[in-house]
Amino acid sequence: MNLEKVVFGFFIVLAATLNFGFFLGGFDNVDHHNIYELYAAVVVNLIATVLKFGDRTQIGAVHLATSLVADLQLIAATVVWAYASGVAGGMSPHLISSVVSLSGGALFANVVSVALLVAETASLSRH
Amino acid sequence: MATGGILAAVRRRLFGPPAGRAPQPAREAPADAASLPDEEAASSAMFLMLRRMRAPLIGLITIYAVSVLGLTLIRGVDPQGAPWQMSFFHAFYFMSYTATTIGFGELPHAFNDAQRLWVTLCIYLTVIGWAYAVGTLLGLLQDRGFRQALAVQRFARHVRRIAEPYYVIAGYGQTGRLLGHALDARGRRFVVLDTSELRVDETQLANYRADVPALAADAGNPAHLRLAGLMTQRCAGVFALTDDDHANLAVATATRLLRPDLPVLARCQSRPVSEQLEAIGTHSIVNPFDRFGDYLALAMRAPATFRLMEWMSGLPNSELPPRREPPRGRWIVCGYGRFGREVVRDLEREGIDVTIIDPVEHNAADSRFVSGTGSEADSLERAGIADAAGLVAGTGDDTNNLSIVAAARRRNPGLYVIARQNRQSNAPLYRAIAPEFTAVAAEVVASECLARLTTPLFVRFLDVARSRGDAFVAPLIANLEQHVGRRVPVLWAVHLNRHGAPTIARWLARPDRNLALGDLLRDPAAREQMLPAVALMVVRGDTVTAVPPADFALAPGDHLLMAGRSHARRRLHATLNRELTCNYVLTGRNLPSGWMWQRLAGAPVTGSPPA
Repeated sequence: MNLEKVVFGFFIVLAATLNFGFFLGGFDNVDHHNIYELYAAVVVNLIATVLKFGDRTQIGAVHLATSLVADLQLIAATVVWAYASGVAGGMSPHLISSVVSLSGGALFANVVSVALLVAETASLSRH
Repeated sequence: MATGGILAAVRRRLFGPPAGRAPQPAREAPADAASLPDEEAASSAMFLMLRRMRAPLIGLITIYAVSVLGLTLIRGVDPQGAPWQMSFFHAFYFMSYTATTIGFGELPHAFNDAQRLWVTLCIYLTVIGWAYAVGTLLGLLQDRGFRQALAVQRFARHVRRIAEPYYVIAGYGQTGRLLGHALDARGRRFVVLDTSELRVDETQLANYRADVPALAADAGNPAHLRLAGLMTQRCAGVFALTDDDHANLAVATATRLLRPDLPVLARCQSRPVSEQLEAIGTHSIVNPFDRFGDYLALAMRAPATFRLMEWMSGLPNSELPPRREPPRGRWIVCGYGRFGREVVRDLEREGIDVTIIDPVEHNAADSRFVSGTGSEADSLERAGIADAAGLVAGTGDDTNNLSIVAAARRRNPGLYVIARQNRQSNAPLYRAIAPEFTAVAAEVVASECLARLTTPLFVRFLDVARSRGDAFVAPLIANLEQHVGRRVPVLWAVHLNRHGAPTIARWLARPDRNLALGDLLRDPAAREQMLPAVALMVVRGDTVTAVPPADFALAPGDHLLMAGRSHARRRLHATLNRELTCNYVLTGRNLPSGWMWQRLAGAPVTGSPPA
């Protein structure tokens, strides 16, 4: 067992699950989406991104790309959330659905990331 | 297992071993130039940086995450006393300006004690996080391996950017420098590979006109040759000029195997290696000592031919000082090393009596040998200095050679003296003592390399001149001096085809036209006058015509070797490339240059023939 692989896999899967957890619920219902969960998803995604730094293989490059996409989407979601609660004076169904759809996009990138992880593991030669 | 041990293990797995310990390929710092990262690793500078920044970046993210989360969780009050909790946005804003030590104060409302307690902790945490990240980054920039990777990248980029043909010089010693300056003066590009970083830095200080990419690397390594652009079509040739024969052999072998079509020129000072070089098919092997012996023999046998060769391979426009011809009497050679052996062999082949002074005891029965160093009175006397015609001071030590020359001249003032110069730094001393001839290995190799790779026709011409001897060369020299002058002429090759001479190619495309060499060499400024240039040789297929007469009929596809003043070269270039100039030179008619007037006056005579 390779501890590096454990940590790597842990963060990638955790990023996807947190993202999924936030995405789950009514599309325009603020009560179904927890800001702390979004926050945790952003932080874990950032860590997962940094863990993918410096891998020179082709699959490593795609890994990094998916992570960067997820970061971008999630940060956009948090910006919209901050705008809604601070500038727009409260969360409207329109704004919360933007946040959720952005996190949905990030979820897709995270799913690709997990798929890559699975593909990479499956392609490892079995001794 | 202790907790500390587990933590250390996690750290090692995640971020690689701490600097300076067990190897990890991507970050291994090369100990010397020989183990420089190869082509693939050349792109690794960025990866190396990212890999090393993993730990500090994850540390920073974690510290920020914990601090922000804590701030949002702690309950505070607003100025009206109502309970108030920080939003993530405000918490992140606060942490951003606090962690970067900007410190706008407690926004948006004054904090309570619980919040202040947490913020105190956060300040120390973030300062440590930033210090760690910045420290790692700066350390990385200082890192030898990282800088090497950057240097390799820069070198590869510069080489890729050279758009014209260029040469690879492996070994930037005395010879490499001389060759580099000569190539640069002729407007040729080159790149340098040398194991010594000092010499590589020297290329940047050498005041070359063009940019000279240089890399501290072992040129014998094929990966480094590839970095220098060996595989590109623009690479025009490789010079292996290091002072190590085996390194040169390695360069030549690698080049022959990777690019069999590329000319390779190797310097070599020992016969066994020279045979190996021949075996792998190196195009030219330059052994400076052997070559020098040949020159000396040639200077005795055919002084005019030698003079011509010396004159032609000099720096353009410089004046060649008159030189005494080496006499054919008895010669004394001091020092019987690699240089001495070659000289003695060539002198004896010319039928010259040679006495050898060498400190090593040789065959006592062989009367040619006198033991001694040559600088003491005794050995020179025993070698019969008084009635000798010439002397070669050919030891490997400059101080010895100089004192031999001084001692010998005192005993025989009329002596013809040849001195071998080993170090460039001693050149002023040799100039002061003024031997009739100074043998500098680096110069011999550099001029030979230059002639062979840049004007291959010239080398062929020299072979012709050598085989025909002085009877052929003496009138040629007179002819050159009359037409071109006494200064060293510029040599260039002209190919009479569509690319090298489009106007002439079109002119000759009509079967009813012919072209005499003398007509081509008329001056475009006034065609009654001839350009100060002489055609040394015309090569047509396998036939070589040396010094063709003025009425020699040129044919398409001819290669011409020209010698002349540099303005003659420019004017001939105009004749060969400009329709109107060519018309004037060949027919004496001045055609109008505008399209309209050309239509009215009839198409240019050299215009493309009707299909």
